[in-house]
Amino acid sequence: MTSSGVLSSSFRDPSGFLFQEAGSLLRQVNQSYRENYDHLMTSGLHETLTDKGLLIPHQEASTDLARTEDAYRVLKPQPVPFISYPYEWCFSQLKDAALLTLDVQKKALDFGMTLKDASAYNVQFVRGKPVLIDTLSFDLYREGQLWPAYRQFCQHFLAPLALMSYKDVRLNQLLRTYIDGVPLDLAGALLPFGTRLTFSLLSHIHLHARSQKHFAERTVDTDQRSMSLRSFQALIDNLESAVRKLKWRPQGELWRDYYEESSYTSDALEAKKRLVGQYLDRVRPNIVWDLGANVGLFSRVASDSGALAISFDVDPECVELNYLESLRRDEEHILPLLLDLTNPSPGMGWQHEERMSLMERGPADAVLALALIHHLAISNNLPFGKIADFLAKVGNSLIVEFVPKGDQQVQRLLASREDIFTEYTQQEFEAALGQHFEIVDSSGLPDSNRTLYLMTRRGA
Amino acid sequence: MRRSVCLTNAMILVTLLLLASTGTAYAYVDPGTGSYVIQLLIAGLAGIAFAIKIYWGRIKGLFSRSSSEGAGSEGDDQ
Repeated sequence: MTSSGVLSSSFRDPSGFLFQEAGSLLRQVNQSYRENYDHLMTSGLHETLTDKGLLIPHQEASTDLARTEDAYRVLKPQPVPFISYPYEWCFSQLKDAALLTLDVQKKALDFGMTLKDASAYNVQFVRGKPVLIDTLSFDLYREGQLWPAYRQFCQHFLAPLALMSYKDVRLNQLLRTYIDGVPLDLAGALLPFGTRLTFSLLSHIHLHARSQKHFAERTVDTDQRSMSLRSFQALIDNLESAVRKLKWRPQGELWRDYYEESSYTSDALEAKKRLVGQYLDRVRPNIVWDLGANVGLFSRVASDSGALAISFDVDPECVELNYLESLRRDEEHILPLLLDLTNPSPGMGWQHEERMSLMERGPADAVLALALIHHLAISNNLPFGKIADFLAKVGNSLIVEFVPKGDQQVQRLLASREDIFTEYTQQEFEAALGQHFEIVDSSGLPDSNRTLYLMTRRGA
Repeated sequence: MRRSVCLTNAMILVTLLLLASTGTAYAYVDPGTGSYVIQLLIAGLAGIAFAIKIYWGRIKGLFSRSSSEGAGSEGDDQ
C-alpha cells in the first residue's frame, strides 16, 4: 500500500483504483469511466450479475473520500474475507473461475457491454463460490469489436487448465512464475501432440501461439476489421466448451486414505474432533487457518462452528477432493487452498507488491496445526524454534498437536533416515512454543501418546 | 505432425490474406496483434459453426413439430 492508501496492486487500469480509508477498502471510479459505469448500473447488468452472485456487490460512498480530483464515484465493495490467488487453487477452482468469467462475459453482451480484461486475479472465492471482484472490468460493447481480453483469458485460464488436464496438475505453479498467465508458446511446447487434434486447443493455444510469433514484429489495424456479434458469441461459446471438456481426476491414495488407515481409531478421531471443537469454542475465531488440512476433516469442525476455515494443503489431490466436497455440501465457510508451508506464496509482481505473500494475509484468529509439526521438524529438518517463529507470525491463537517420537507416524518418517533429532522431545517443543505462546490448556488424545494444546500468542 | 504443420500454415496464410492493411491496436489490456488475428479467424469459423447449429436446430424443430402435429392429429382422429 502507498502513503495515500492506494493499493500497490491497483495501477494498471486507468478507469479507477482501490484504496484503504479508515479500515475500509474503497474503489475510486474516474471520470474517464463515467459512461461505462452509468451503463453498468442503469442497464440492469449490475443487478443481474449481483443477484446471481457472479459480481461482488457494492454501495456508493461519498465522493468526499476520493483520492484525486478526477473522481466520478467512490464505491465500497462488499469485503472479501480472504484473498487467494490462482496458483493456490486446485484444478476445479481454476476451471470454475474460468467458467464464471465466460458466464459474466455472455451476460455482459446481453446488456451491451463486454469484459475488457479476463484476469484470474479478478476472481475471488466468496462463500464457497467464485465471484468477479473488479466492478470496472466492463466496457460498452461497440459493434464489430473484438474481445480485448481474449489473449489474457487463454493465458490465465485455458493454457494452465489444459496443462493440468493433459500433462500434470502441478503445472498450475507456472502461474507463480508468469504473473500474466502461462505464455502460449510454452503451453504449446509442453502439451502432448494429441492436443493438436482438438479444434479448441489447436486453435486457442497452438495456432494462437504461432500467430503471436508470426505477428510479433507486425502491426494490424484493428479498426479496419470487425467481428460480428454472432461471431463474438460463438468465440465465447467455443471457449466455454473447450474449458468444460478439460477434466482432471485425483489418482493418488497417499493422503486421502489417511484418516481411515492411520493413527486413530474412529472413536479416537471423534474424540479429537470434539476436543478441537471445544478449544475453538473457547477462542471463537472468525478466520481459522488449517495448516496441513488434508481433505479438510478438522477444517469442517471450524467451519461448522461458523468460522471461515482456510484449508491449506500441499497435495493438489487433497485440495481438489476438499473443494469438490465443499461444493457437494454447498458449504460457504470453507476455502481449500494449495500451499507448501516450506515455501509459502511470496509477495509477487511489481516491487513484490501486486500479490500478497501468505504472511501479509494474516495473522488468522486461530491456526490449526494438527499432525503437522513432525512433518516440518523431521521431514524438513526445521528446528522447533523456527516452527514457533512461523506459527507466531500467522496466528493469534494456536491449536497444535504434538506427536511423540514413539508414534508410528514419526517412526515411518524416520524409517529411511538416521535419527539426528535428539531435540525432538515434548519438553523442547513446549519450551520453543512457550517463547511466543502461552499454553492455555492441553489434553492427551485417546488411544495414542499424542497431546493437543491450546495456546494464545503473547501480546495478541 | 506434417499434416498439422500444413494446416497451421494454411490458416496463417488465410489470415494474412484477410488482413492486408496495417496500423495500431489500442486497449488497456493489449490484445496483442497475433491474438487479434487468430481471434478473428477462430471467431469466424466458430460463428459459421454456431450459425449452422442454430439453423440446423430450427430445421429439425420444424420437422419434429410438423411430425408431432401429425402424430397429434392422428391421435385426435382416434
